[in-house]
Amino acid sequence: MLAIRDLHTHYGLSHIIQGIDLTAAAGEVIGIFGRNGVGKTTLLKTIAGWVRPTSGGIRLDGVDLGGLSPDAIARRGVGFVPEDRRIFPGLTVRENLDLGLLQRRGRGRAAERRSVDEVFARFPRLAERRRQLGTTLSGGEQQMLAMARALVGAPSLLLIDEPTEGLAPMIVEQIFGIIRDAKAAGAVVLLVEQNVHGALAVADRFYAIERGRVILAGDARLDKDRAALLDAIAV
Amino acid sequence: MIDYLQFVLAPQMITGLSLGVAVVLVALGLTIIFGLLDVINMSHGEFYAVGAYLALSLGAAGISFWLLLVLVPLLMIPIGFAVERGLIQRVFNAPDRHTTTLLLTFGLGLVIEEVLAVIYGPNTQRPPTPIRGAVEVFGVMLPNYRLFLIGFGVAVMGLVALVVYRTRLGAMVRAAAYDRDMAASLGVPVALVFAGAFAFGLALAGLAGVLLAPIYSVFPTMGRDFILLAFTVVIVGGMGSIAGAVVAGLLLTQVQAVSSLFISPVWSDPIVFGIMVVMLMVRPQGLFGRLGRA
Repeated sequence: MLAIRDLHTHYGLSHIIQGIDLTAAAGEVIGIFGRNGVGKTTLLKTIAGWVRPTSGGIRLDGVDLGGLSPDAIARRGVGFVPEDRRIFPGLTVRENLDLGLLQRRGRGRAAERRSVDEVFARFPRLAERRRQLGTTLSGGEQQMLAMARALVGAPSLLLIDEPTEGLAPMIVEQIFGIIRDAKAAGAVVLLVEQNVHGALAVADRFYAIERGRVILAGDARLDKDRAALLDAIAV
Repeated sequence: MIDYLQFVLAPQMITGLSLGVAVVLVALGLTIIFGLLDVINMSHGEFYAVGAYLALSLGAAGISFWLLLVLVPLLMIPIGFAVERGLIQRVFNAPDRHTTTLLLTFGLGLVIEEVLAVIYGPNTQRPPTPIRGAVEVFGVMLPNYRLFLIGFGVAVMGLVALVVYRTRLGAMVRAAAYDRDMAASLGVPVALVFAGAFAFGLALAGLAGVLLAPIYSVFPTMGRDFILLAFTVVIVGGMGSIAGAVVAGLLLTQVQAVSSLFISPVWSDPIVFGIMVVMLMVRPQGLFGRLGRA
């Protein structure tokens, strides 16, 4: 269960997030929509701890995440797949995945190996390339790796920023498939996506953001709410 | 010709190699700290001096040299943690980090130099050589201690490379060097990795101090000349590059050693710094890429 209360974030003097309230239950996929520069990415970065909130609360399963360092937040079960994937170029595919295991430490070697084996079974392309450096992968494979790296630590909250941007339709379908898997595993997923129609197909609920505020919240399965969303963000 | 090789060139190259190995250890610490923290540690040479003085004092107190090889680097680790956490982190997030950390570590170096002078006096001292004698290989006389220094130093370099490039801890270090935020969001304890890398760099500098103390003299400002060479090595090899520190360290010390046979040794520093200047003009990124980059 994720509960965000009256969240404010500044970049220097600019007030980016201007009081966002958002709740999500385990196993819910929440679509976050809005035009460029309305604060969607900043919202995810604030939750992940890359940017410190000015005020407001972020609680995940009753634990307060506000003001913690990014690694402390990761270890409390938050997985982050940022825009442009941020694959480590000097690390192999396997090493990139191994770092993801640090989110859940103390599970023991056997459990960790099982997690990695599961990921490789789910992503055979990554298994074939496990010894290659991260940057030798194609864009779609790098996105897979970024997702896999966040999922291998079994996060209870998964933050995903623009995962399908610039990818071929077949890969896009796979990415949404992975999001469905995370949902089935009981994670809360916050999905920022320009591909509104694709994202609405996997989302349970959505929030539309404008100038750092929520202007609309609705049910992704209701035609009425979907129409209101498309109207609100003018796509 | 053979005589020249046996009695002049080979011994000179072995002397250069033993110095080179110690320079590489100091440069490795510098380059790891730079690669990870983006901090140029101007006090690194003084920590090399601290290592040498610790070896001198503890050796005089009866602790064997072999134990000091382990003990002194271990003692440098808490010092490194204290400096990183207590001083560097205080200014780390300042907007002009490069200037403030440069000045901070420069000042720290001066303080350490003065403290060493107050405790030990300004005069040079020298601990006894732990291994005496020499072996003859193909007619070349090789001092045993220098051979040991070379072997031990190379083993340490191999171990560093193994840890950085073949272990999960090393993957954490490379990841944090390349992208601190992303590494943290995977659960890498970046603050600990940064402090640990700084402490590890100081441990390597301290180790170089222990190794060189029996050959070169120990005095409070001993770090100054040495650190200039180490900085040159790091710039020529590539700031933040481990392979670069090793290759450039061994190469530049050989250039010094061999060139001083043909022209006055007075010229060995200008030649090495000249190589650095040329390098900065034609290939400013250095010979090899930075830590964490492919």
